[in-house]
Amino acid sequence: MAEKKDPYEAKDTGHEWDGIRELKNDPPGWWMTGGYISIIFLIVYFVLYPSIPLVHGYTKGLLGWTQVDEYKSSLAEIMSVRAPFEEKIAKKSAKEILADPQLSQFALASAKAVFGDKCAPCHGSGGQGGPGFPTLADDEWVYGGTIEGITESITGGRQGMMPAYKATLSEQEVNDLVAFISGLNTGKAHDPGKAVFLGQTAGQADCVTCHGEDAKGNPDVGGVNLTDKIWRFEGTQEGIKRTILHGVNQEDDKETRKALMPTFGGKLSEGQIKQLAVKVFMFGGGKKG
Amino acid sequence: MEPRQGEPQYNFVIVQFFAIMATVYLVVGALVGVYIAAELAWPALNFDIPYLTFGRLRPLHTNAVIFAFGGCTLFATSYYIVQRTCYTRLWSDKLAWITFWGWNAVIVSAVVTLPLGITSGKEYAELEWPLDILIAVVWLSYMFNFVMTVASRKVSHIYVANWFFMAMQVMITYLHVVNSLAIPVGLFKSYSIFAGPQDAMVQWWYGHNAVGFFLTAGFLGIMYYFVPKQAGRPIFSYRLSVIHFWTLIFGYVWIGGHHLQYTALPDWSGSLGAAISLAMIIPSWGGAVNGMLTLSGAWDKLRTDYTLRFLIVSLAFYAMSTFEGPLMSIRTVNALSHYTDWTVGHVHSGALGWVAMVSMGAIYHLVPRLWNTELYSTKLVNTHFWMTTISIVFYISAMWVSGIMQGLMWRAYDEQGTLMYSFAESVAAMHPYYALRWFGGTLFLLGTIVMLFNVLMTVTRARTAPALAHASA
Repeated sequence: MAEKKDPYEAKDTGHEWDGIRELKNDPPGWWMTGGYISIIFLIVYFVLYPSIPLVHGYTKGLLGWTQVDEYKSSLAEIMSVRAPFEEKIAKKSAKEILADPQLSQFALASAKAVFGDKCAPCHGSGGQGGPGFPTLADDEWVYGGTIEGITESITGGRQGMMPAYKATLSEQEVNDLVAFISGLNTGKAHDPGKAVFLGQTAGQADCVTCHGEDAKGNPDVGGVNLTDKIWRFEGTQEGIKRTILHGVNQEDDKETRKALMPTFGGKLSEGQIKQLAVKVFMFGGGKKG
Repeated sequence: MEPRQGEPQYNFVIVQFFAIMATVYLVVGALVGVYIAAELAWPALNFDIPYLTFGRLRPLHTNAVIFAFGGCTLFATSYYIVQRTCYTRLWSDKLAWITFWGWNAVIVSAVVTLPLGITSGKEYAELEWPLDILIAVVWLSYMFNFVMTVASRKVSHIYVANWFFMAMQVMITYLHVVNSLAIPVGLFKSYSIFAGPQDAMVQWWYGHNAVGFFLTAGFLGIMYYFVPKQAGRPIFSYRLSVIHFWTLIFGYVWIGGHHLQYTALPDWSGSLGAAISLAMIIPSWGGAVNGMLTLSGAWDKLRTDYTLRFLIVSLAFYAMSTFEGPLMSIRTVNALSHYTDWTVGHVHSGALGWVAMVSMGAIYHLVPRLWNTELYSTKLVNTHFWMTTISIVFYISAMWVSGIMQGLMWRAYDEQGTLMYSFAESVAAMHPYYALRWFGGTLFLLGTIVMLFNVLMTVTRARTAPALAHASA
């Protein structure tokens, strides 16, 4: 220490507080230089950029930089990359995009993030569905798996509806019906249940209107196929019974099944919706219509 | 306790109360932090109980560490320093007790109201209007008592630590009152009198200056007393302290706008915030430089003095975060860092590295002197030091990697100009870093428990065996 300049040789201010003195060293030179550079920097920056508020408005700065311009130019940059594809997508229908390998590849890549943000929370990141939410990656479709049907589902959303039979069917009728529907998937016939299904019993169930006399469903009204072991809700005996008793989207019934997909028309651009439809179609279950 | 020879009868009882509560609240605040960190890594931990969800516990965590722990530390140290550097007892013991019981009433109310979801929705100012009024009253009583004590000092000049405390007192009053202006619509609900971008601007003018005046100016006051005291050295440069004090005080109030880059705020507010933030690196470093140079010629003390280690490492973290902050305020960097975990990492390098460590050093210095004894275990102080330092390194490196990764994933485009990742994919990618951050936080928490144990054992021993007592100030 002896050779170095000892800061404690410096004089103090002559004051002392609880044993603490203050020395009269100058601040380090680099620190003061840094301070002067900071001041010069501030002056230069204030001249170049919008910085100083005035009574009305503010100084705009010599460079004419604005946040909005920066946003617009960076948006324009990315849009110019996308433009060749976006223009073709705008001109073509989803079906035509599907037929064009290059465009459908672009649509797949482009829809990935949108699908992940908007669709995956319910349908899963690979379209695998979830409890209460339909699988998109199989070939069973509630509302039809054509490219047009998928586009329509995304654009307008979907709201399921099935009446609750807890008040109209007797317990025996409900149990028979459950046995019949369950049997459709296991190959076990159940004649009393079939009668309930066809509306031939006292309860006059109205199943065939949507599910069809063959129980294979009707995509035009969102009636699901009851014979293919793929279940919109739960396929257990209790699960089927709950759906029959409480229906779908029945107000004032806490046990009712919920089936509601939001509308994306107006929230996403038409191009985005087309691209999403292509992606959903290409999960593998799309139907050439 | 008996007054020492030649010393006036100081009120150290109030300091004792605040020092103990600071240590307790540090454990509590860190515990809540560790819990919500675990929730981010393993969301099932909220158990679908609304009171335990991240959204409600996070403000409890921030209020607990900033205002409960930070506040009690500031009250303990400033009431101690002002007496010792003014050579006079606190102006009013009654006001001091109002500070203590009033502040703790605020904290207890926060613990009840925040999990219940009663909030004004303003970050770091979540408490509803009746509590805001209580805070203002308690704070003013503290400020008045402090200023009156300074006014009745027995020395001609006011020590630099007290400048910083008084700057904090004035500005926090101003910030708290303006930002809390609201129209009550019920006992537990009010609406800010500012709207839209103006509300946002007032909020971040407050938010950043809560950092600037509460967590920086106040804790620089702590540094200016405890570093020279613990090192047994005079302050390196009086002139440096004057310059960095005034530049810091003048600069901080302008920079809140840098929290709102690329928003609806007018262009000038963000540029002004960023430019002055950059110009603030030098003033901020002034405090760190003066503290570290105060140690020159006494660096060997770090080998044996574990309390001093806390103080000096805190200055290193302070210098680091006051460099990082201005960097993040530049729009180009902010475009990447904003809304990511990088911000969380930055805050914690300041909060854990600077605020917590300087406070721990101060409390380890205070406790033996307040109870006129020696620390129960200096080895445990060293253990605590290493636990804290290592935990902070884990915490902030995890958040740096995670934050930069988030920022890059959100903006990643492929050659066709389409976004490469959905938001959920970025969330999934965060998981390992959230687990790592939780680990760092847990280590920090364990360190605070070691500290609480050491402090309580010291106090217990001093009370049961007063004969052992001896201390040199």
